[in-house]
Amino acid sequence: MIEEIRNKAKELLETKTVDCVIGYEPATDNLTSRPVFIYEPSQVNRLIFDETCVHNLSKYLINRRYKPTGIVAKPCDTRGINLLLNEKQLRRENLFIIGVVCSGIRKVRFNQIENSMPTKCQYCSQHTPVIYDFLVGEPVTEAPTHNYSDITEIENMSPAQRKAFWSEHFDRCIRCYGCRQVCAGCYCYECFGDELDPLWVGIRIAPGENWVWNTVRAFHLSARCIACGECEHICPVNIPLMLVNRKLEKDTLHLFDFEPGIDTEIVPPFATYKKEDKLGTGE
Amino acid sequence: MARVGVFVCHCGTNIAGVVNIPEVLEAAEKMPMVVSATDNKYSCSEPGQASIREAIIENNLNRVIVAACSPRMHEITFRRALASAGLNPYLLEMANIREQCSWVHSDNKEIATNKAIEIIKMAVAKVIRHEPLYPRQVGITKRALVIGGGITGIQTALDIANAGYGVVLVEREPSIGGRMAQLDKTFPTLDCSACILTPKMVDLSQHPKIKLMTYAEVKKVTGFIGNFEVEILHKAKKVDHLKCIGCGICWQKCPEKVPSEFDLGLGKRTAIYIPFAQAVPPKPVIDLSHCRYTKYLTWVATGQEGKKPPECRICEKLCPTAAIAWDQEEQLFTEKFGTIVVATGYQTYDYSHYKEYGSRDFADVITGLQLERLMSASGPTGGEVTRLSDGSHPKTVAFVCCVGSRDQQRGRPYCSKVCCMYTAKQAIMLKEHDPEVQCYIFYIDVRAGGKDFEEFYLRAIDEAGVIYIKGRPSKIYQDGKKLIVLGEDTLMGRPVEIPVDLVVLATGMEPSAGADELARNLNISYDTYNFMVEAHPKLRPVETHTDGIFVAGACVGPRDIPECVAQGSAAAAKVAALFSQDTLTTEPLIAVVNQARCIGCLLCVTICPFKAVDYQTTQDGRLIAATNESLCKGCGLCIAACRPKAIDLRGFTNQQILDEVAGLWL
Amino acid sequence: MAVSHEPRIVGFLCNWCSYAGADLAGTSRITYPANIRIIRVPCSGRVDPLFVVKSFQLGADGVLIAGCHPGDCHYTEGNYHTRRRFALLRPFLDYLGIDQERFRLEWVSASEGKKFSEVVADFTETLKRIGPREI
Repeated sequence: MIEEIRNKAKELLETKTVDCVIGYEPATDNLTSRPVFIYEPSQVNRLIFDETCVHNLSKYLINRRYKPTGIVAKPCDTRGINLLLNEKQLRRENLFIIGVVCSGIRKVRFNQIENSMPTKCQYCSQHTPVIYDFLVGEPVTEAPTHNYSDITEIENMSPAQRKAFWSEHFDRCIRCYGCRQVCAGCYCYECFGDELDPLWVGIRIAPGENWVWNTVRAFHLSARCIACGECEHICPVNIPLMLVNRKLEKDTLHLFDFEPGIDTEIVPPFATYKKEDKLGTGE
Repeated sequence: MARVGVFVCHCGTNIAGVVNIPEVLEAAEKMPMVVSATDNKYSCSEPGQASIREAIIENNLNRVIVAACSPRMHEITFRRALASAGLNPYLLEMANIREQCSWVHSDNKEIATNKAIEIIKMAVAKVIRHEPLYPRQVGITKRALVIGGGITGIQTALDIANAGYGVVLVEREPSIGGRMAQLDKTFPTLDCSACILTPKMVDLSQHPKIKLMTYAEVKKVTGFIGNFEVEILHKAKKVDHLKCIGCGICWQKCPEKVPSEFDLGLGKRTAIYIPFAQAVPPKPVIDLSHCRYTKYLTWVATGQEGKKPPECRICEKLCPTAAIAWDQEEQLFTEKFGTIVVATGYQTYDYSHYKEYGSRDFADVITGLQLERLMSASGPTGGEVTRLSDGSHPKTVAFVCCVGSRDQQRGRPYCSKVCCMYTAKQAIMLKEHDPEVQCYIFYIDVRAGGKDFEEFYLRAIDEAGVIYIKGRPSKIYQDGKKLIVLGEDTLMGRPVEIPVDLVVLATGMEPSAGADELARNLNISYDTYNFMVEAHPKLRPVETHTDGIFVAGACVGPRDIPECVAQGSAAAAKVAALFSQDTLTTEPLIAVVNQARCIGCLLCVTICPFKAVDYQTTQDGRLIAATNESLCKGCGLCIAACRPKAIDLRGFTNQQILDEVAGLWL
Repeated sequence: MAVSHEPRIVGFLCNWCSYAGADLAGTSRITYPANIRIIRVPCSGRVDPLFVVKSFQLGADGVLIAGCHPGDCHYTEGNYHTRRRFALLRPFLDYLGIDQERFRLEWVSASEGKKFSEVVADFTETLKRIGPREI
């Protein structure tokens, strides 16, 4: 598997199809992995792929949108690429996607690997990349399914319980905006969270302001979040952000029969409408 | 620094009788950036407005709150008052303390007073963020495009031209005239259709202000009211109409005979043809799909396989003016217009879906429009109604109403409006042609709503002896020379079985083919049947939601001739009113893009109902959105959709609305 | 002493239908609870979900969005987009602890002054029943 990636990367760089391949290499803790940008064919042996390759590298493509770039991408990452293509942030002709079949990665922190899978993988059944130029691994033929048992659990709480649940989490938020920085879908030059005039999110770290940030961050990703789980992975205070994102994912699927990032050309649900929409409200 | 003046109106006792004005003034004075708070008995009166003007000048105010009635009532009045004091009129904000406060909370004066104070507080928070705005003037191209050369389009073009403005009429067929030219007589007056139409066609063709473009189609429309750019495709006629004198020798001598579209397949025309004798322009086009010389050329070009077709060119040899132009190709022209009127009309429903009526398999089952051609003196039979199968004169005729109308199962639930009357007319005419004829009309309801319509329907029964049978026939089948119509007389509650010589299906109206494509090109709405949608069915019947584009006639819905003419004139009046101005003033309350923030996802381009957002490419290759000030109507849909807040709506900016909300908790 | 709770409703009303409907309630002198504060917007489609979130953060007990009936939008399709946004936002806010009864979307035409007053009365009643919102 790793050999296949290295050979392809080498070929791409040697033939000058791309001038950079973004992939993974071992991190300095000798345990986990980290992103790497390979520019020289001689360097391709640094590339690896294993259960520690958690990062969604598609975010890095935005800054290289005008340059031919190769990328190693897991299925969830390829959805990110599709999202960015759909939103006209990337040019397909500048991309070479080395898609990797993935059956889930491991929960990693610096210097430690847990034996369990992160939330995103526990509920993921998209094991084959949705867009690729070269595929590593055997494609999984069975159709992806959806499991939202974690969301239903919270939906079934009493309003008071739910309020308490989220207060407990959001009160911890230090608004480092790491969730935004790492997100492939967050590429605004100036985020509403940074804006001073109008001041959407106040400067103080207070529950109300945290709530606005976390609510609107997620809502800006509604019908866009591709469930790569990077926000949750990066969060220094361990807010279960995938529980927020996946609620919107569940409702989007249910209301609009839409999954972000599956198709490059599809019109997202908030860019269109149907007169006969049956959404359980305002008909 | 904003200097806000608050003017609280008593509106007689309408406000002052409920709201405690002194208390409101006291509170208003303490609000941020408020430098004066005064009251007026009637702010909208001349003394009231004068006091506002004086206060603006005296206190050097640069933002104004008028706490009075609804802005829908007097916003414009007070904007003018600001302007007359030398202030930008858009620095006004109205606090609605009458309709939305004193009038609805008269039961509790204390609560009403508090609410009035809060409403003013919110308005102050918003007005501080107001910026001066300036309307723009755009020029108008005083030339109208009329699409469709039926009676509606002809009337529209004539009326606009008679008002003194230039008109281009585009018709995709070789002649204008439309459906009305195909009719024999019109109900209920039994005027000869051609006799009243053709003079209008000639008027149109000779009018100095009208340019007629037949055999042409509208391909692409860009721009906005006053300034449309339209690409018009001129199909290859292969005849130079500047040289042609319309002598007719070519179409008399052309050896290739094909079924005539104008006669609905009942008669023949030649490959070089005019659709009918009174065609305007009276000059032919060559139908390349049937022309022998064209076939010969194709045979040469494709390697001369098979039998050699004759190298005909008879028209060219006989033409006295050498008008045949084989090298003529289709051409695309771009023209500028100030307004566009759509009058694309209708076609009749294709009844091949009606298997029970033979799906076009029986020669003696014809449509109402085909019967018109048979009855017309200039038609293929010279006005003699004969059966297509054996040429005999039918003595018993059954009419079937509502074929492709009022039929849910065929997806045509609407009433086509004219069929009840035209079947009655045709039955009367058949009786006049031949007194021995007996007509039966199968109907669902007879809808005779119109001037003299009911009388006309009764005349069919009383004078022409037509037998009306309530019920939709279930089957038509051939039995020897006769056609048997099976149905149920639902009034009598018993089945009927009538052997007849001829069956006439009153096929309904549907929009002309390609109406949906045209509507998309024009960015106007159309319904599920492809009828155009008017801006308001009652009050704006010929306008569309796209400014400067009008609709008239049967492209909007089933209409009879007088209605079409009225609508054509109505559209023309709208056009003339628009052209009577030299410039158009555009509303400044529109969306503007902050290009530095735009990330180029172009969601706004997709979402805009008016195609008012387009995109540009910057020097460094980024895509960025850009709004067209003339197309934008200021709905704000794009603003709510824009994640980076790169687009904002003047007069209702994010900052203004947020501050208005936050003002409540100040 | 128990003080009765007077909820605050922030109402975003579209200029062409609902704001005119609210005006009509006034011209018809129909009284309704004074708990609503009306923000005039050109179209219900102008209402950014952020405004709703901010209203709740600032302390609104309820938020109302009112627009033209489907098919009647002055801008032809704004309210269809509003409907989609609302359909997703409402359960989402509920999920994050804002009771869904506190957030409403209503279609009020320019001729429905009576309906507008009923909407406000009913909404106020509901909010009183749920009680004050802990912030």
